[in-house]
Amino acid sequence: MFFGSVFAQDLTLPELKGFKKALNYPVFGPDNLWDFIDGAAENYLAYGFVDLHVAEYKKGKNVIKLEVYRHKDNVMAFGIYSTERSPSFRFINLGSQGYDADGSINFFKGDYYVKIRTYSKSEKILNSEESLAREVAGMIPGDSKMPAVLSQFPDEGKKKNEETYINESVLGHKFLNGAYKASYQVGPDNFSIYIMISNTAEEARKTIDAYLSASGMESNDVAGGKYVLTDGYNGTIFLAWKENKVVIISGLSKDQTNIADKYTSEILK
Amino acid sequence: MRNINRRGFLKTGITGAAGIVALSPSLMAASSSEKEQEILYRTLGKTGMKIPVISFGVMRADNPNLCKAAYENGIKLFDTANGYQNGNNETMLGNLLKNYPRESFYLATKVKSAGVDREGKPSEQTTSEDFLEKFNTSLSRLQMDYVDILYIHDVRNPEFLEYKPIINTVKKLKKEGKAKFIGFSTHANEPLVIDAAASMDTFDVILTAYNFKQTYINELKAAVKKANQAGIGIIAMKTLAGGGFLDKERTKPINSTAALKWVLSNNDITTTIPGMTDFDQLDLNVKILADISITDDEKKDLTIAQAETGIYCTGCMKCLQQCPVNLPVPDLMRAYMYAYGYSNPAMAYSLLGELGTGDNPCSDCNACTVECTRNFNVKEKITDISRLVNVPADFLT
Repeated sequence: MFFGSVFAQDLTLPELKGFKKALNYPVFGPDNLWDFIDGAAENYLAYGFVDLHVAEYKKGKNVIKLEVYRHKDNVMAFGIYSTERSPSFRFINLGSQGYDADGSINFFKGDYYVKIRTYSKSEKILNSEESLAREVAGMIPGDSKMPAVLSQFPDEGKKKNEETYINESVLGHKFLNGAYKASYQVGPDNFSIYIMISNTAEEARKTIDAYLSASGMESNDVAGGKYVLTDGYNGTIFLAWKENKVVIISGLSKDQTNIADKYTSEILK
Repeated sequence: MRNINRRGFLKTGITGAAGIVALSPSLMAASSSEKEQEILYRTLGKTGMKIPVISFGVMRADNPNLCKAAYENGIKLFDTANGYQNGNNETMLGNLLKNYPRESFYLATKVKSAGVDREGKPSEQTTSEDFLEKFNTSLSRLQMDYVDILYIHDVRNPEFLEYKPIINTVKKLKKEGKAKFIGFSTHANEPLVIDAAASMDTFDVILTAYNFKQTYINELKAAVKKANQAGIGIIAMKTLAGGGFLDKERTKPINSTAALKWVLSNNDITTTIPGMTDFDQLDLNVKILADISITDDEKKDLTIAQAETGIYCTGCMKCLQQCPVNLPVPDLMRAYMYAYGYSNPAMAYSLLGELGTGDNPCSDCNACTVECTRNFNVKEKITDISRLVNVPADFLT
């Protein structure tokens, strides 16, 4: 059929009481997103960007702009959201997670990353902005839970709201893709933990092999293992895997094996 | 812990600290002083800044070690923006660059004016206060007293260059020393905007989209030359023609080395700011720092890439005069893009309804007289998409 392979994704953006909704923008796709957010588009494309719906709500001189970004899946939506999140923002209960910062309300839910912005300082307009955010969060399909893998990061020393998902080139290496990252401070030590979940144990092993091979090492382990290596770019790396799960720790020195092992063992238990 | 004592974390790289570095010959090939002699520098217009031909578009980089490696390999200009990663990009750079002597690198950032519409026109929201607040936030994140280049982010309308609230603000920041030099970035209507700026005495630097796929490259080259002759330094971005792939599925990568060398073959361009997210890309770009000559294979890759068409109309409007029945060809191409590019036939249907061109607007022509700059088979695409008007709307939601 002529349109058999074309899948419509209609999204009717809500009305906002007292405001006039204007749809002055086309639905943006991967090839013209740059027209809307210029160079920042590349980051969205790296997180499986699908399309963007934009609406403006006007009341006198005041404007509230709504941007609804759809990504390939929930992990990608969390990924792009997490690259733009700062722990210093005021977090609010919205979608899976959201925050309010200087007239911006951003949140993610399901496959969507939603950004709402006004330059108005009026309390009434800011309240309307929040109402709009809640309306959009209610209408967007999908789960309101955070990605399940995040719960595997040990709590001790974990910095709040700094978890991210890196889709490509983890630690700047092309052979490492798709990692959840959390930042830690334990005493004077700052380090990062990455968790990568592969589809199979064989895939996880390939990831390990790629890193070890780049370090001039080989693995004979068939079901798991722990290693420490020196990455010329990123310093000491603790690398471990079990079945389909890979854990990487960076930021510790070679003599801090006990810390690395404690965290690794908890994640791989 | 028992496990670790027995076997865990016991295996260290056989070459110790040389582990991964040993596999990165470009980083090990020469001492830094030798590399500096090899690096090709160009002068950025009247600023006098001498900059290596490759700089770093930091926007997507989240690993400070990547920026550190770039710096240590001779890259000196780091380009970010107030809005990249909602400020996290500037914060990451600030945390890194505070460790280096301030005069040993250049830092450029961009601030976007609020309330600018799609045509690039300012509104009541486009204020000096908003711009200043954002810029001061940038300085704070970067942990710097000044930036080397401050760009007004995304200027696409020549009228904006005369918009006093913003222009006077950047001039003031330059006078105060918070921005050594001022300019703007542009990636739409670039020839017009650059041409207009070349006739003014306001800007030191322009950051422009510039790549081998632009259909209006001759106009852009002329504008760039004019600006350069007026003393404005030109920096190129979007050198990979948008994301580094020829297709939206990201399966056909562009030869990035060839694309960068092609840009640098124009001496009016001082440097380029390719985005880098991995060390392999960095290695490739570091090689270009000292050698911008294009090989025959690279020329071939560019020719093939230029021939790729796809489904995305660039809106050059050159077809408008060519259709004997005055069809709105760019709009019809947009409808085609909505259906096949955005997978949104409802939107295409709506646009076709507005255009009122019917279900077979090309029926009177045996052969098409439109010569598309992207080599689209215009008649075939129009005929294809126009059939959509006969599909009941209910089927498209």
